[in-house]
Amino acid sequence: MEFYNKPGEYDAINYVPHTESHGTKELWKTFWLLLGITLFDFIIYFVMPASGFRNFIFIFFGLVKAYFIVGAFMHLKHEKISLALIILVPTIFICGLILGLLYEGSALEVMKSM
Amino acid sequence: MANHTTTQASFENQPTWSGGRSPFNVSYGKLMMWIFLLSDAFTFSSLLVQYGTQRFSNVITPITTKWPDPASIFNHFPGMHGFHLPLLFVSVMTFILILSSVTMVLAVEAGHRNSKKEVAKFMIYTILGGVAFLSCQAWEWYTFIHEGARLDGNTFGITEQGYKHLHSVGFGSHFEWETGDRTFGPVPFAALFFIVTGFHGFHVFSGVVINVVVYIMTIRGVFDRRGHYEMIEKAGLYWHFVDLVWVFVFTFFYLI
Repeated sequence: MEFYNKPGEYDAINYVPHTESHGTKELWKTFWLLLGITLFDFIIYFVMPASGFRNFIFIFFGLVKAYFIVGAFMHLKHEKISLALIILVPTIFICGLILGLLYEGSALEVMKSM
Repeated sequence: MANHTTTQASFENQPTWSGGRSPFNVSYGKLMMWIFLLSDAFTFSSLLVQYGTQRFSNVITPITTKWPDPASIFNHFPGMHGFHLPLLFVSVMTFILILSSVTMVLAVEAGHRNSKKEVAKFMIYTILGGVAFLSCQAWEWYTFIHEGARLDGNTFGITEQGYKHLHSVGFGSHFEWETGDRTFGPVPFAALFFIVTGFHGFHVFSGVVINVVVYIMTIRGVFDRRGHYEMIEKAGLYWHFVDLVWVFVFTFFYLI
């Protein structure tokens, strides 16, 4: 592995690992996937009547898009697993918080109408 | 202490916990950008939590009508005044942002090959994409305010008659609100829209500023002298994060 630091020195602040280009093939593939999913969302919106299942499809494909953006564009798939985990694990808890407060929101609705 | 004596090859072979090297094998700047993005994700999550709670507590209330269907409000397209075109304009905005994400990642890839000319070219494309997105958002806000959206109230409570009227028109047909179609709705609707898309738009604006700075540094040869184009990667991480947030804004504010 190559480094940009001077030989024999390790400088924590200026340390930059050498990176290689992996070509543009994967990036364009990701672009077409993202575009395809967005078009799919657009079509589903008009073809299916509004329902909980349709919302589930939208959220599911939102998460798929997030996976491709974070994994391929932000390169997290190719980083060390420890770095990926400290980024991803807290966001899972956030999703739990959102779900919990949606439930609480529905309860508020019932209380308001009492 | 050990840092001055160990050679490049030997510190790379050190176990992680013995110190003296980057445990994640990334640079300091990139690690800090990731940590910043995580904190920014929390900021946006708190807004989404608020939005979700408000929306779920305003499905049907006896005082106001239910939370308005986004398709009935964001159905405008520039130059197509008076036509019912739900989701079309926001899909164009999404397309612009995805496209500018691709040009950004192509700039990063060109940076790995130390190709100054290509990095500059793709940075310009990315900046143009960002400016185009911001212009679209400005138009969207202008139209929404023009239709009567305010921070402190909501005139988008759509009545039963209003929904009947909406459902009677097809995609692309002529549509204008009639008296009795709209009344007062859940108050936080427009405020949450302005806060969340405004916050996202502010991030896009910051991203454009960062990209302009990085572009100027590129054409002045700063990264050539430095020997690497890592700054493009850091700016890219931020830009992709903005795209990522838009995926969720698009899903929760327009699709659902």
